Amino acid sequence: MRVIKEILNNTFIVEHRDSSFLATKSRYPPFYGEKKIGDYREWKAYRSKLAAVILNGYTPSIKKDAVMLYLGVASGTTASHLSDILDSGIIYAVEYSATPFKKFLELAEERENIIPLLEDASKPENYSGIVEPVDFIYQDISQKNQIEIFSTNADLFLRDGGEGIIMVKARSIDSTSEPSEVFNFVLSELEKFFDILKHGGLEPFHKDHIFVHVRK
Amino acid sequence: MSEINNCYNTWFGEVCLEDGLKVFRSKNLKESFQSCKNWKLPFSVKDAGMIAFGSESEYYRNLRRTALQVAEERVRKELQSDERYLISLLKALDEIDLGINLFSEKIRDIEETRESSLTEKFNQIVSDLKTFRKDLENEINSHAERIIPNVSSIAGGVITARLLEKAGSLKKLASMPASTIQIIGAEKSLFKAISRMKKGKKAKTPKHGIIFQHPYIRGLPKKKRGKMARFMAAKLAIAARIDFYGGELNEELVEMVRKKYGELQER
Repeated sequence: MRVIKEILNNTFIVEHRDSSFLATKSRYPPFYGEKKIGDYREWKAYRSKLAAVILNGYTPSIKKDAVMLYLGVASGTTASHLSDILDSGIIYAVEYSATPFKKFLELAEERENIIPLLEDASKPENYSGIVEPVDFIYQDISQKNQIEIFSTNADLFLRDGGEGIIMVKARSIDSTSEPSEVFNFVLSELEKFFDILKHGGLEPFHKDHIFVHVRK
Repeated sequence: MSEINNCYNTWFGEVCLEDGLKVFRSKNLKESFQSCKNWKLPFSVKDAGMIAFGSESEYYRNLRRTALQVAEERVRKELQSDERYLISLLKALDEIDLGINLFSEKIRDIEETRESSLTEKFNQIVSDLKTFRKDLENEINSHAERIIPNVSSIAGGVITARLLEKAGSLKKLASMPASTIQIIGAEKSLFKAISRMKKGKKAKTPKHGIIFQHPYIRGLPKKKRGKMARFMAAKLAIAARIDFYGGELNEELVEMVRKKYGELQER
């Protein structure tokens, strides 16, 4: 096994037995059925949208000591890798549904840089006395009003100049319109409040999704 | 605390703004963690917390420990709730139905090829499953009657549980308009119809979803089902609201549904 390229802190493209894959360097065991070779935990693009963004050629800069607010952490697939990347940072992880959160708590127990919050991301006032000002907001919630949710959270917690990544699934915003129309609408909404640094699709890993990288 | 207006709730206690930050650390972190609602704080909660805890590492250690404790308790409570119990009973019922069908088919396959003592044992298993299914259905009915009495009185336990499962919670069901309750479970055909309409084509929206399983709807001729479904959904919406806000069983609603069914049957 050998490292081909460094992508971010603790994040590499590695080659093993004639195949190469994205991985994060981790001292923790596999969490969602991914393979681990040496210290390198495979980061699967079919499971994690952020991995799909990176494999499609775009790497948002995420600093290792960043303070991050993660909205919609679900069972923690992506968060497990972000926890490897932010090895001297902090992740405030918000999820509303108890079922996936139960699995996520296993991860939160083991990782010291994760603060788990079983809260509704559309009511950020409920955790305003907990979350400190953050450098980055990562949002992956399939909800019709997800842009509004992102904006209110950014207003409350994102410092000026802070950045965010929003994963948008066309079908959860409007299931009857063409995905491209939905995406145009989302971009125009975000443009009102943020600078759009980059956006793009997640094919072939996730159908009818885009990511948007913004700065406040 | 001279000015109440200048004080804010944080997870570790109260923080007041008067000549800098003044911190009143809470004695029970778990309690203050769960009651720290504010709008935007004019200071960093971490900066204030460093005053309370002395160092960054102590701040995060306490924050993490409290967050984990609260999250674990909330997850446990949520997963053990009455509504979840009802939904998991319903899921078990559906799985058992699948099993019974599948096994009966296999038994037939075996019987056709050979006479075997095995099939007798197999038949026994299926008949045990059927007995258990009955018990399960009884439990669903009685539990639904206890926690969602009004909806159950109209729709019966199993359909109530199904509505609850699709809505996600009684709270959500109670906030649904009747027209939504009417077509819960028929989302696919609804959205198909809507997207056809958007393209300017003719389309029919569905008349009923889950509530079609109700004998009062299924038992009517096709033409009258829409009317019955609309009426029943309207009463179910009212019933769900009574149930959610803790009201008692109101027999009037069932009576109205029964009467409507009678009228539609005769016409």
